[in-house]
Amino acid sequence: MIFKTFIKRLFPRSFDNDIYNLTPKDLIIRKSSNHGGFKFGLALLIIIFLFAIFGPIILDVSPYEQDLTKRLLPPVWKEGGSWEYIFGTDGNGRDYFARILYGTRISLTIGFGAACVGMIIGVTLGVCAGYFGGWVDQIVSYLLTCQLALPGLLLAMTIVFLIGPSITVVIFVIGATHWAFFLVVSRSATQKIKNLDYVTSARAIGASKFQIIMRDIIPNTFSQIIVIFTLEVGIAILNEASLSFLGVGIQPPTPSWGLLIAEGKEAIFFQPWLIILPGIALFTLVVSINMMGDGLRDITDPNSKISEE
Amino acid sequence: MSKLKSLILTLLISLMFPINVFADKSDDTFVAAFSRELTQLDYHYGTKTEFLILGDMIDSGLFYVNREDLSYVPDIASDYKIVDDTTIDINLRKNAKFHDGSNVTADDVVYTYNFIVKNEKNRRSKKIKGWMESIEKTGTHSVRFKSKYPYANLFNDLYRIKIRKNGIMGTEGNWNDSAQLNELNGTGPYKVVSFDPGVEVVLVRNDDYYGGPKGKPAIKNVIIRSIPDMGTQQAELMSGGIHWMYNVKKDIGEAMAKTGKADYQLGPSLRVGFLVLDAGGYSGEGNPITKLDVRRAMNHAINRDSIAKNLIGGPAKAVHTACNPVVFGCFQDVKKYEYNPEGAKKLLAKAGYPNGFDLDLWSYRDKEAAQAMAEDLGKVGIKVNLKHGKLSALNKARKNREIRAYFGTWGSTASPDTATISNIHWRDPAKGDRNLSGDPKVNELMLGAEQTLDVEKRKSLYAQGLKLIADQAYWVPLWSYSEGVLSSKSIDFKLDPDGYPRLWNITWK
Amino acid sequence: MLRFIAGRLIVGSSVGLTLSIVTFFLLNYVIDPAQAIAGEDALFEEIEQIREQYGFDRSITVRYFEWFSGIFQGDLGISYYWNKPVISLLIDRAPETITLALMSVSVTILISIPLGILAALNPNSLIDRIALGIAVTAQAVPNFWLGLIMILIFALAIPIFPVSGDKTLFHFVLPSIVLGASSVPAVMRLMRTGLLDVINADFIRTARSSGFYGWRLVFNHALRNALLPVVSVLAVQLGNKFGGSVITESVFAINGLGRLALESILGADIPTVQILVFVFAIIFLFFNLLADILNAYLDPRLRL
Repeated sequence: MIFKTFIKRLFPRSFDNDIYNLTPKDLIIRKSSNHGGFKFGLALLIIIFLFAIFGPIILDVSPYEQDLTKRLLPPVWKEGGSWEYIFGTDGNGRDYFARILYGTRISLTIGFGAACVGMIIGVTLGVCAGYFGGWVDQIVSYLLTCQLALPGLLLAMTIVFLIGPSITVVIFVIGATHWAFFLVVSRSATQKIKNLDYVTSARAIGASKFQIIMRDIIPNTFSQIIVIFTLEVGIAILNEASLSFLGVGIQPPTPSWGLLIAEGKEAIFFQPWLIILPGIALFTLVVSINMMGDGLRDITDPNSKISEE
Repeated sequence: MSKLKSLILTLLISLMFPINVFADKSDDTFVAAFSRELTQLDYHYGTKTEFLILGDMIDSGLFYVNREDLSYVPDIASDYKIVDDTTIDINLRKNAKFHDGSNVTADDVVYTYNFIVKNEKNRRSKKIKGWMESIEKTGTHSVRFKSKYPYANLFNDLYRIKIRKNGIMGTEGNWNDSAQLNELNGTGPYKVVSFDPGVEVVLVRNDDYYGGPKGKPAIKNVIIRSIPDMGTQQAELMSGGIHWMYNVKKDIGEAMAKTGKADYQLGPSLRVGFLVLDAGGYSGEGNPITKLDVRRAMNHAINRDSIAKNLIGGPAKAVHTACNPVVFGCFQDVKKYEYNPEGAKKLLAKAGYPNGFDLDLWSYRDKEAAQAMAEDLGKVGIKVNLKHGKLSALNKARKNREIRAYFGTWGSTASPDTATISNIHWRDPAKGDRNLSGDPKVNELMLGAEQTLDVEKRKSLYAQGLKLIADQAYWVPLWSYSEGVLSSKSIDFKLDPDGYPRLWNITWK
Repeated sequence: MLRFIAGRLIVGSSVGLTLSIVTFFLLNYVIDPAQAIAGEDALFEEIEQIREQYGFDRSITVRYFEWFSGIFQGDLGISYYWNKPVISLLIDRAPETITLALMSVSVTILISIPLGILAALNPNSLIDRIALGIAVTAQAVPNFWLGLIMILIFALAIPIFPVSGDKTLFHFVLPSIVLGASSVPAVMRLMRTGLLDVINADFIRTARSSGFYGWRLVFNHALRNALLPVVSVLAVQLGNKFGGSVITESVFAINGLGRLALESILGADIPTVQILVFVFAIIFLFFNLLADILNAYLDPRLRL
């Protein structure tokens, strides 16, 4: 299937080489400390995390408190802006800075939540397909085709309609429509591992299938899964923003960035900061996650040179 | 530097020009934008305001809503006589013509109403059949309606049914519902030139139009485009692609007006907002909302004036009745709940909720106001979980009796009578799912007022009903809305007192 | 090869069938189509009338089989919302989406292939970093946002392009950039790594040692080999553009299948959404099959 070759191309070395040949820890550390993109992404992500966690605690601001007499105030750098509201206020007179700050939490929660759901589905299916092969493999690949062929956004919209929008629903819907990468990677990794000496010997001494999968196979697919996971976090965050933009994602007044952009959309020509600021926030977060993911891919790849970059 | 600038400008203009050949005054073409798409032409098959506007442009009914004083006046009818409580004689205009050139006669009117009533599949069938006993031809240009009971909102229905040519929708037993969906032989001031569903409808002035209360239109060509995104509409208006857009919020309208590229009017609208409360306990017996003090507390908790003034703006005002104060029968001397959060807290404590309670509040329109209300309710201790979504989701939940409170609005477009809003909201719960009061008396009074032609009796029934609703706080009446319209500098458009945009009255400046 | 194609066709149609069942039941469970057809301020009688008229009062299973047997008789159903046969809606709207899909894939090609080549020829140089930067950026920008920003800049601040609509090809430029940008990262990276692999491959080394250098080498040997996977991935991307056009078409008011899908979902137009999900799935599967065939044809190593 073309999808697989596509992934192979994206992760050329991880596929061609023996993943069981574990990279020593210090090698990874040395590689990561030499990888500029990874360092940058990680640093940015840590900063964003700190902001998301401690920002609302230290800065005494509320994303929900409304003051209808102070609607649509411009940000501080615009004429008429003040330091009281650094990013101005939104259509309900809420502090836009506070809303964007809290939005970080929402995005991170949904990104990690949805990637976890996707990972659980994808890895379970992938390991089963790789380990058992035969008809299990065929059913799984059928499911994979279904998932890929389904216009995900339309499905997500429909389901959110069905259950009613909430953070949990959005996490599960996005997770349930994004497990293809996990599946493909874990399946091929499992196929390679299951015939290796230590797995066959585990089988010989009477370990159950479940034990083998949990103890010997899953931990060894970890390095690739983590790369996919990181990239899926970014994709999930963008997906949530799209759903909220279309009005079928997070519920107001929860400050999701996609929702902020949707709310500011009508005023794009007169209060452009209402969409530009959350757009930049969204962009920065996804860039940092993607750079870290790309970096992780290079680092965990046993064949990449230490000197690279 | 300036040379370079002008060079770039010329280049840009030359690049733009062949593509954007704008319709304008020079070729007598007016372009309006709707955000919701027009999916067909026949008003009998659609209820959205957009369809009504189009319907008035290309069709006519027996009656029409006068723009100045919002009264019903004869349109295709020339005059009428109320014979008794259940009989009305209507004479037709002799000069009314269909777009194909044939005269409108009593046969066409009788055919139209028979088609509506006898065709089970028609969307208006049940509504008209509810009151109409019979229609008969009494002359080449006169008909007689008989109703099953004295029906007060008769003229509104006679306005909404558009006259169809005899035979055009098929014959009895062999009705053709789709005959006029994509092309239309109407009687209105404009004729359809072409129609691309969801994209645009192109109209041309009907030079044989009889005039009537709508008046003869001034502009020759009209194009109505469907542009879903309001931002895109603004951009089109600024760049000259369209001349007119509506449902424009205050902030955007004012900002656009400041650019000097468009005029903004924020006028009154018949639309009102309200919270419907499950006083009857349909969503769960003994729920907090079933307690009168809780409902009164909610009435006190919301700062209507602030939301009406700051969020909606224009003539929008706090409303204390379950109808818009300007329409017929909307009695105003009812119990008024002023904004008083402290009082609301006390009432909640009295009802046994000193710490408030959790409430799912459903809404589907006006997200900003919904959030402002949620905040106000939160301040007195009612922790609102806002369920803002699409109408169809709300409707499903309402049908399943899962809704404890919802934020509704009602447009009453071109129907200035309390009957329009009360008919659907206070009917017998067995026949509708919006009356959550659980009080049969409300239904009796509010719908009883539709079953008589005696104006004073109607007023008194509405007065009693509206007083009861306010006393028992079955609703939280909120505010009246404003209608915002942006129009280009080249056209002359005036908003009417009901906020209903009568596009056929637009002229060039 | 024929057997391979036949097998894939069977899988494809059963996938389509599964999806149609899933969407039909989901949609009918979620939405009250009668209310959606009637509109916001519709009267109770009108809604009930519609419920009977369209037969929404019957069970979902019965309606599904009715719909399904209709498909086999070439009857795709009649849209509730547009009051038109779904097939004519598809025919009306498809050209816009096809234009948009083709143009956005062209945008992808125009940006990603030259960048990928330049990056591969100069690994770790400034140009490589810029290319990487573009890829990282394009991956992280949500396309609804990019669309709005594009309108803000290129239609209003500097009025080069029309704001919205689909009358001329010129109208499609901004939307194609927005939709095409999302595929740039994948294709560019693929081009870069593919080309790097080929350049480092033995036969190129041999060519180099026998005196071929520079651009000619790149074009004659390396590029041809590196393009193979890119072509098939582009085919897949083209398939993706159909289902992916929903947001772009709404922002730019293009009357294609994507906007039709969105409007139909919001309008609870079950027959249209139903067919569209099916059509998007089939298009995706078709382009995947095409890509596989291309791959197998161009790269004998994969022809197992």
